[in-house]
Amino acid sequence: MNTTTKQPSVDKALPVTPAIISSSVDEGHRTKSAPFGHALIEEARRRPEIVGMSADLAKYTDIHIFAQAYPDRFYQMGMSEQLMATAAGGLAKEGFIPFATTYATFAARRCYDFISQAVAEQDANVKFVGGLPGLTTGYGPSHQATDDLAIFRAMPNLTVLDPCDALDVEQMVPAVAEHKGPVYMRVLRGQVPLVLDEYNYRFELGKAALLRGGRDVLIISTGFMTMRALDAAKELQKDSVDVAVLHVPTVKPLDEVTILREASRSGRLVVVAENHTVIGGLGEAVAGCLMRGGVSCAFRQIGLPDQFLDAGTLPVLQDRYGISRKAVVDRIRCWL
Amino acid sequence: MDHSPLLHNSELAERAYRVRRNAIVMAEVQGQGYIAQALGVADVLSVAYFHAMNVRPDQPDWEDRDRFLLSVGHYGIAHYAVLTEAGYLPEAELVTYGCDDSRLPMSGMTSYTPGAEMSGGSIGLGLPMAVGMGLGLKRKKSKSFVYILMGDGEMAEGPTWEAAISAAHYQLDNIIALVDFNKVQADGPSTSIMSTEPLVQKFEAFGFFVQRVNGNDLAALVAAFDAAREHPDPKPRIIICDTKMGSGVDFLEAKEKNHFIRLEAEDWKRAYAALDARTVA
Ligand SMILES: Cc1ncc(C[n+]2csc(CCOP(=O)(O)OP(=O)(O)O)c2C)c(N)n1
Ligand SMILES: [Mg+2]
Repeated sequence: MNTTTKQPSVDKALPVTPAIISSSVDEGHRTKSAPFGHALIEEARRRPEIVGMSADLAKYTDIHIFAQAYPDRFYQMGMSEQLMATAAGGLAKEGFIPFATTYATFAARRCYDFISQAVAEQDANVKFVGGLPGLTTGYGPSHQATDDLAIFRAMPNLTVLDPCDALDVEQMVPAVAEHKGPVYMRVLRGQVPLVLDEYNYRFELGKAALLRGGRDVLIISTGFMTMRALDAAKELQKDSVDVAVLHVPTVKPLDEVTILREASRSGRLVVVAENHTVIGGLGEAVAGCLMRGGVSCAFRQIGLPDQFLDAGTLPVLQDRYGISRKAVVDRIRCWL
Repeated sequence: MDHSPLLHNSELAERAYRVRRNAIVMAEVQGQGYIAQALGVADVLSVAYFHAMNVRPDQPDWEDRDRFLLSVGHYGIAHYAVLTEAGYLPEAELVTYGCDDSRLPMSGMTSYTPGAEMSGGSIGLGLPMAVGMGLGLKRKKSKSFVYILMGDGEMAEGPTWEAAISAAHYQLDNIIALVDFNKVQADGPSTSIMSTEPLVQKFEAFGFFVQRVNGNDLAALVAAFDAAREHPDPKPRIIICDTKMGSGVDFLEAKEKNHFIRLEAEDWKRAYAALDARTVA
């Protein structure tokens, strides 16, 4: 972001897409509504110890659906994220499994010490769920969670998840509930794209999944960048570029075995794609894994730049910062 | 506008009308947004900028200005509306609200907009920032005040109360905090989401000079701002403003789910008409 005040831009043609929170649905994608909320209701039927919490963002993280179904198992904490994180630790001590939601920025930045000490250090069974991951809003840095994966990867004991689509989200919920220990899960809310059902995919905690094979390029991706990677692979196929896609929904602990196996197949360009800053996220995690594993390959990162991003409209920003479908295709083309 | 002349209520009413109109112009661009807050807080901001504050819109970083901190970044629409009316921004720029490369982003940030003194949006930073500025101004022997606008939902944020403790401890009588008590937060009515009442007694117990007024009554606001500036005790000041969401546009006042409002194109036209009808009447 500039430090000098911006110049007026009133003469420019006005875009039509609003800046407001919208999901990153691309043309031609099917969607599913509120997969997190519905999956949590299902899981709560089986596990009476599940309780829900939100810090005044229930409607905006889809946990309001759970709150409507189980009003007596839902705690509205008001706009008090640090309290919510710490009280979730307290509920876990009493044997409950809190699913606590806010935006990813506030979970990661505002609550860090609270989650670190009240939850992770005590290995409390709390599940944090963060909305608006990465660059999924045009509101500017206060709401753009460009650094949450880096922040949470650095926290011992914590499992870190970044779902691709509605299927991923709904399969993560029971796995997260089953797992004993603290979890941070990014969430996509509202009308969420549905793509992985075409790839015979099942979410497994701690496992990467090869969604398609390919001779020329291996994209290792997490979150909705896997959707972008799959679309890019189809597009590049038209130029006879053969692209494999390895989806890594569990950012921590990393499935190093699968990553090393796929990356050591010689002759492929390895591209790591994430909806996150290039600092400290999946890209650097994979790079470290490859170095330690003695795999040397051509390596590129697709991710957000190390800066506070602009405010504006989402499609323009995703293009500007290189994570739109088109940007992914263009960059891979020029790396080949 | 060096210490602005005390405007008559009728002049303030005219200003507040144009602030509301500016807000509708911006909301119409996006077709949705925080219009009900902007309409509700228009009177508070008008009295702040056109009666109480000592500012020079053509020189936003003038050293002796009163500071204004927008803690609730999503109230950017309300702030741009009053900044435009005050002359910080040209009216023609209103239609860029929320668009790419605009100086009027959805959430207020200091590097984007002349007159925006903090990047809010991550709510709860305002009062702590005011403490630092209040201390800094005192170090510089400045007579300037720090005004800060918070939401009622923000009263649940821990940092607000950490700041309240230290504002009283350091006798920061140069802080004039404003709470837009519109009874709404993101998930619903603030009274049922997380009740923070009794707010007057809480801030009194924390060592503030507290007033609570009808935030849509210009005369009451003028009196409260005057009292806050002139109060003799070395205490931080706070004015809790009870406002009506959507104030001035009847069908928006009546709307129940109003934290974030989406309207059809023709309804924005209706909003101008409703505002004019109310103001003429
Ligand atoms: C730290 C933080 N938590 C959550 C949010 C998301 N959020 C934006 S506005 C809002 C409601 C705030 O309530 P209030 O201050 O009363 O504003 P109003 O609803 O009246 O606009 C919330 C929860 C935020 N911006 N910052
Ligand atoms: Mg409010």
